Amino acid sequence: MQVRDVTVTGAALTPFNRRKDGTGFRDWALSAFEMALERSGLEHSDIDALYVASESDFFHLQLNPASVLATELGLTGVAATRCEGGGASGQVAVHTAARAIQAGAAKHVAVIGIDPSASSLSGDAVRTLYGFSFDAWTDGMTGLTSTALYALSFQAFAAEHGGTEADLASVTLQNRSNACHNPGAHLPRRDSPQDIADSPAIASPYRRLHCSPLSDGAAAIILSRTDATPRGRAGAARIAGMGAATDHMHLGARADPGFFTAKQMAMQRACAEAGATPAEIGLAELYDAYAGTQLQAIAALGLSEDVSRDLNDGVFAPAGRCAINLSGGLMGQGAPVGATGVGQTATCALLLEGRYHPALQPDTLPRYALADTHGGVCTLSAVTILERAERAA
Amino acid sequence: MISHHLGLDYALNPGWMAPYVAGLSAGKARARRCQSCAATSFPPLRVCTCGCLEGDWTDLPGTAQVLFRTTGLDGDFGLVHFDGANTKTTLRLQAIPATETRGIIAASGDNLPVLRLTALAEERDG
Repeated sequence: MQVRDVTVTGAALTPFNRRKDGTGFRDWALSAFEMALERSGLEHSDIDALYVASESDFFHLQLNPASVLATELGLTGVAATRCEGGGASGQVAVHTAARAIQAGAAKHVAVIGIDPSASSLSGDAVRTLYGFSFDAWTDGMTGLTSTALYALSFQAFAAEHGGTEADLASVTLQNRSNACHNPGAHLPRRDSPQDIADSPAIASPYRRLHCSPLSDGAAAIILSRTDATPRGRAGAARIAGMGAATDHMHLGARADPGFFTAKQMAMQRACAEAGATPAEIGLAELYDAYAGTQLQAIAALGLSEDVSRDLNDGVFAPAGRCAINLSGGLMGQGAPVGATGVGQTATCALLLEGRYHPALQPDTLPRYALADTHGGVCTLSAVTILERAERAA
Repeated sequence: MISHHLGLDYALNPGWMAPYVAGLSAGKARARRCQSCAATSFPPLRVCTCGCLEGDWTDLPGTAQVLFRTTGLDGDFGLVHFDGANTKTTLRLQAIPATETRGIIAASGDNLPVLRLTALAEERDG
């Protein structure tokens, strides 16, 4: 079977925050979609299929959201699919959509990620629901929270691979500092290490400022068969490689409960498809649900052989060899779950085109950027490697 | 804003895990021993890491070693190793002092799959 190249011809994100303006997820989806479509140079009638990422009906109280959004976006008649993979839902949707183009089943597709994770339910209700996104029979019913499971996983990682409270503070401060230059970010903050230490303990070692927020928002990308890319979009980034993998759903059944094995496997698969190595990744949007999660991700993705050393040497800072979470990541930009993975891919595409927020846009564009997402405590990992076009700005 | 309350009462069947849930309810650590490699998993694995689907139920002593613990808003939780098991598990730590690294399984009651570890001394005194 001939495999077609896929290009990100359009990309857009709404602001991620806690909406207080009376708008809902249908409004955000339309806003992101219209922006992405306009940037793609395509028309509604050009779209063959719609892929919607949404983690849970509990958030928006809308079963079958893909068909609803097909109508709301003016796409009635297209094939519509809802994709779900916990926190990885967005990246799973990107993969599913891109595979459809590669297989020759579509020429242009829209991928929309949405979730009203902040405003539709109380924080306590969402925390309870998230407990059921691991194994509901063992962890969920026991009352284990997402933060507690991530905290235990990070402790296991730190014991085996290293990682200090200072490292957690460094990630927290960097991501939120990056977010200060992102006008769509939920938590643009300039805290001090003392502010972090003074914030409430959630599940040791994690304090509130080590955690990503619950956010509302949407993101959209338009994917096109590269040989059908509209005129004027030759500078758009292409999808070079995708990889996904799973790990055992129980932390305790994993050989190393602190290491994100699924992420390592997903990255290896994506690199093999792209013909790239982790060392060639120059920009990365990582799944920093918690500060330590970013350290675990860096290690599993092979972006560093000594995470603490490279963190302290500025390797992952905006001007570093591999700038991580220029958007602010989940911790700074925010986390409307279904929109997260789509937003990461959109961000990478915009960065590689030189069209991201000016204060965050690197002067020199790397060849490759990485979008990394996972669900559970990295139970399901999905990563995408994007490649700069030869004619990018 | 549309305010809407939705209450849901689930009736969930544990299926193959019924012996595990019944064990927790009675305060027993009911594990699964693989018929092929004899690896013992708790919580039970339906498919052993060796790939075998066949296993037998066996009750562990119920005591466990706390490997990592986290404390916070929702209480104390741990990653622990039950004596006799080849896997580890996450659970709720119930009244186990920070200085104590061992505990024993607590009965969940009500046929709920709630996995808790309580202090050894408390269990003996009880």
